[in-house]
Amino acid sequence: MLQFIVVGLVFGSIYALAASGLVITYVSTGVLNFAFGAFAFFIARFYYFLHVEKEWGILLSVAVSLLVLAPFMGLFFYMAIFRFLRLSSQLIKVVVTIGLSVVIPVVAVMIFGNDEIFQAPGLAPQPVSVYKVFDTAVTLDQVISYACVLGIVVLGALILRFTEAGLSVRAMVDSEAMTSLSGSNPSRIAAGVWVVATMLAGLAGILAAPVIGLDPNKYTLLIAAAFAAVIAARLRSLPVAVLIGLLMGVAGSLVQYFLPPDSEVTANIVPAIPFAFVTVSLIVNIVRQGRVNEEEGVGGALDRAITPNGGSRLAASTDSENLYPKLNFVFPIVLFAGICILPLIFAPYWQSLMVTGVALAVIFLSYTLVTGEGGMLWLCQITFAGVGALASAQFATQHGWPIIPAILMGGLIAAFIGIVLGLLTIRLGNLYVALVTLTFGLLMERLVFNLQTFANFGAGVAVARPEFAAADKDFIYFALAVFAIFAVLIVNLRRSTTGLALNAVRWSENASRTMGLSVIQMKMLVSGLAAFVAGVGGGIYALSFKQAIPLDYATLLGLAWLAVLVTFGVRSNIAALLAGLLFTFSPAFIQTVLKLDAPWSDLPILLFGLGAIALAKNPEGTVHQQAMGFQKLLHKASGGGGARAVPAATAYAGRHDARLHPDDPAPAPEPSQPGGQAAEVAGS
Amino acid sequence: MSTTEATQPAEVGAGTPAIEARNVTVRFGGLVALSDVSVSVPPGSIVGLVGPNGAGKTTLFGVLSGLLHPQGGDVYLAGQKVTGAAPSKRARLGLARTFQQLELFMGLTVREHVVLGYRVRKQRKRLWSDLFTAGALHPASDEENTRVDRLVDLLGLTSVANTAASVLPLGTARRVEVARALATGPSIVLLDEPSSGLDGHETSQLGAALRTVVEEERVAMLLVEHDVAMVLGLSSEVAVLDFGVRIAYGTPDEIRNDPAVRAAYLGDDEAVEGTHEDEKL
Repeated sequence: MLQFIVVGLVFGSIYALAASGLVITYVSTGVLNFAFGAFAFFIARFYYFLHVEKEWGILLSVAVSLLVLAPFMGLFFYMAIFRFLRLSSQLIKVVVTIGLSVVIPVVAVMIFGNDEIFQAPGLAPQPVSVYKVFDTAVTLDQVISYACVLGIVVLGALILRFTEAGLSVRAMVDSEAMTSLSGSNPSRIAAGVWVVATMLAGLAGILAAPVIGLDPNKYTLLIAAAFAAVIAARLRSLPVAVLIGLLMGVAGSLVQYFLPPDSEVTANIVPAIPFAFVTVSLIVNIVRQGRVNEEEGVGGALDRAITPNGGSRLAASTDSENLYPKLNFVFPIVLFAGICILPLIFAPYWQSLMVTGVALAVIFLSYTLVTGEGGMLWLCQITFAGVGALASAQFATQHGWPIIPAILMGGLIAAFIGIVLGLLTIRLGNLYVALVTLTFGLLMERLVFNLQTFANFGAGVAVARPEFAAADKDFIYFALAVFAIFAVLIVNLRRSTTGLALNAVRWSENASRTMGLSVIQMKMLVSGLAAFVAGVGGGIYALSFKQAIPLDYATLLGLAWLAVLVTFGVRSNIAALLAGLLFTFSPAFIQTVLKLDAPWSDLPILLFGLGAIALAKNPEGTVHQQAMGFQKLLHKASGGGGARAVPAATAYAGRHDARLHPDDPAPAPEPSQPGGQAAEVAGS
Repeated sequence: MSTTEATQPAEVGAGTPAIEARNVTVRFGGLVALSDVSVSVPPGSIVGLVGPNGAGKTTLFGVLSGLLHPQGGDVYLAGQKVTGAAPSKRARLGLARTFQQLELFMGLTVREHVVLGYRVRKQRKRLWSDLFTAGALHPASDEENTRVDRLVDLLGLTSVANTAASVLPLGTARRVEVARALATGPSIVLLDEPSSGLDGHETSQLGAALRTVVEEERVAMLLVEHDVAMVLGLSSEVAVLDFGVRIAYGTPDEIRNDPAVRAAYLGDDEAVEGTHEDEKL
C-alpha cells in the first residue's frame, strides 16, 4: 500500500503545484488560466531540449528553463495579453486562455519539431537512483517531487507572510483599488504573480514529464484534473488547493490498490475521482452557504463600485455602432444564400468537407444559445453533441429506427442530461459552472463514451444517411435546412418575451426574481434547448462521417470549438455557420491549395488560437467587427448622411450583436456617461 | 420559520396592511442587523423608512422581498404569511421593489424593461408560448401599449424609451427601476433610495409620479430614502431604524420632534442643543 501512496503523492505533488499556480493568478488577477497545462508542457519541452537534445547539465537546464524562460513567458504573456483582460468578462478570459493553450503547443512543434516523446527525464540524474524506505521503493524523481512541493509551500508561506512583496500580493487579493490608492502598482504586482505562476507551471511540467511523457494533450488533461482541487479551494484558498491536490493524487493511486487492477470498474473509477472531489466540495459549500459564486469575497466595496455592472456578466446586447440596423438582418440572409450556392459550384472534395462544416455549424448554434443568449459558460456542449451522435447511432443502427427519429431522440436525451446538469449547477457562479461542466465532459468521455458499445475499439458505430440526403450535395442542403430551423428558433427566442426574460436573468438574477421571473425555469429552458441543439447537431455531425466515433467528441476539442466560435462571434447565427465552414475548410486549403507541409499544416490552428487571443482586445468577435467596419465604409461612401446613427438599443431585438461586456466602449446616444452609474455610486 | 405559505394572489382587504413585518430579526454571524423590527404599510399609502447608514433598512427590504431569510419573525403580504416564500412568488402576489445598487437589465432598452415587467404579471403565458409560436411576430396588445406608454411618460422616460439601460445616467436609471416595478401591477412597492443620484427637478418629478400612482391605483409603498425631506413630504407615516432597532414610528411631525430620532441622526449632545441641523428633519 505504501508503494501506491508513494506513486500517488507524485501525482498529488503535480496537482498541488498546478492548483497553487492556478489559484494565485486567479485571486490576484482574476484570470483562471486554462493554458496552464500548455505553459507546463512548453517549459518541460524546453527543458528536454536543453538537457537531452543539447546535452546540457541538469542544473543549468533547469535554471535556464525555470529562471529565464518561465519568467520571460509569464512577463511576456502578462504584458501582451493578460493585462488587457482585467475588466473582461469571464467568457473572454476563458476563451483567451483556451486560445493560448491551442497556440503554445503549435509553437512548440514549430520550434522543437514534431517528435513524440514518451519517456522524458525529470530532475534526477539518469539512471534514476532508487531508495528503500520501509521496504518500499522510492525513486529520486519522486523524492524531488515531494521536496519541491514542500519547499514551495514553505517558501510561499514565508514570502506571503513576512515580505513586503507578499504583503502587496495579499493586499491586492483583498482590494486592487485600495492597493492602488495606497501607492502600490497593481500592474507590477500582477506581472510578478504571472512570473511566479509560470515558474510553478514549469516546475509542475518538468516533474510530470517522467510520469506522463511529453504530450501536450496529456498535460492539459492533467491540469484539468487539477481544476478539481481549485474548485474545492473555492478558487481562493492556497492551502486547501495544495491539500486537496495531494489527496486527489493519493486517492487515485489507492483506488488502484484496493480494487482489482485490470478491471473495468477500476479503470472507470480512477478518472472519476476529480469529479467526486468537485461534487463533494460543491455540495458541502452549497449546504453551508446556499450558493457558490466566484464573485463572493472578491475585492472591496470600492472595487465593486469601479467595476461597472459586475465583472462576470457574459454578454450584453447593445450596439451603438449600428449605423444601418436593417443590414444586420439582411447581411446574414445574403451570406446564407451565398453559402447555399456553394454546393452547386464545389468539386466533390470540397463538398465532402462542406458536409462536415455545416454539421459542425449546427453544433456551434448550441454555444450561441447557451453562452450567447443564456450567458452561461458551459464547456461541455461537445459532450451533448457526442451523446446525440452515439445515441442516434445506437437507435438507428442497433435498433433499426429511421435516422431522423433516432437523431431527434438523441437530441432529447442530450436535452434531458442538459436540464439535469443545469439544475445541479443552478447555484454556482459562472466560472464554477465552466469548471464543473468541463469536469463533467471529461467524466462522460472516460466513463460513457469509452464503453465498447459506443467505442467499438475506436471504430465507432456506422450510421446511414437518410435516402433523400445520401449524396454529399443533398446532405449539405439537409444540414443547412436544420441549421436554418435552429437559427430561426434563436432569432425568435431573442425577439420574444422569452428572450427578454432570458436577458433579464442574465443581467440580474435578484431583479428578475423580485419581478416574478423564475431564474431556475429560465436556466432550465436554455440549458435544455442548447443541449437539444447540440445533440441533434452531433447526430448530423456523425452522419456527415457516416460513423459515430466517440473520439470525435473529446472534451478538449470542444474547448477549441468554443474558442473558434467566440472568435467569430458567440451571439451571431451566421458567425456559427462561418466558423463551422472555415474550421473545416482551412486545414484542407493549407494542405491541398497552398501545399504547405508540417509544421505549417498547423497554421489554421495557430490562426484560430491567435484569433481567440485577440479577443482580449476585441471582444465582439470577428464577424461583428467586420460587419461594423463594412457599415462604417458604407456610411462614409454615402457621404455620412444617408443613415441615422441609431442609438444603442433601438435596433430591433434580433440585431446582430456581440458586445461581450458592458465595459466595452459604446458611445452614448443620450447626453449621459457610460459607466456613470458606477462612478456616482463610488462617489456617493 | 413559517410553513403555511400563501398560494393565492393577495387581495388587500380594508384594514389589512399591504405588507407587514412582525418582529423580524436578522443576524449576520455575530452582528445583529435587525432586532425584533415590526413595520406595516396600509394599502394605498406611503410609509417612509429612514435611519443612518448601517441601520438595517436594506436588510429589511431583503427580508420583505424574500432575498434574505430572517432568523426570527414573519412577513405578511395582504395578511398572508410569506416568510419562507421565494421572491418570484411574492412578486406574483403583488410585491415589487427597486434596489439601492441598481439592478437593471443592461441588455434591454428602457421600454423593454417596462414591457417585460408588464408581461411577467399580465401575460405570463407569453414567457413560454412565444418560444413555440413565433412570438417575436406577435404584436403587443393595446392594453399593454397603453400601460407601458403611461408608465414611461409618468416617470419622464419617453425621450430615452428606446435607449439601452447600459448607457443611462444614474438618475434616469433609477426611474427605470421604478417604472419596471410599477409595470408589474403591484399592490406594494419597496423603493430603496429612488431619489439617490437624481437632481432637484428629477426628485420632485419622481415624488409627483409616486403620489399619482398611489392616489390613482391605491398602490402602497415603503420608501427608504436618505433625502429625509422627500420622505417626510411623501409619507403618511415614518419608521426610524438605528443599529437594527426600530427607535421611532409615527407621522412626519411626530418623527421630526422625536428626541430619539434626533439623537440617532445628530448625536446626543447636538440633539439636546437643538441646533441649526433642525431643518434636516
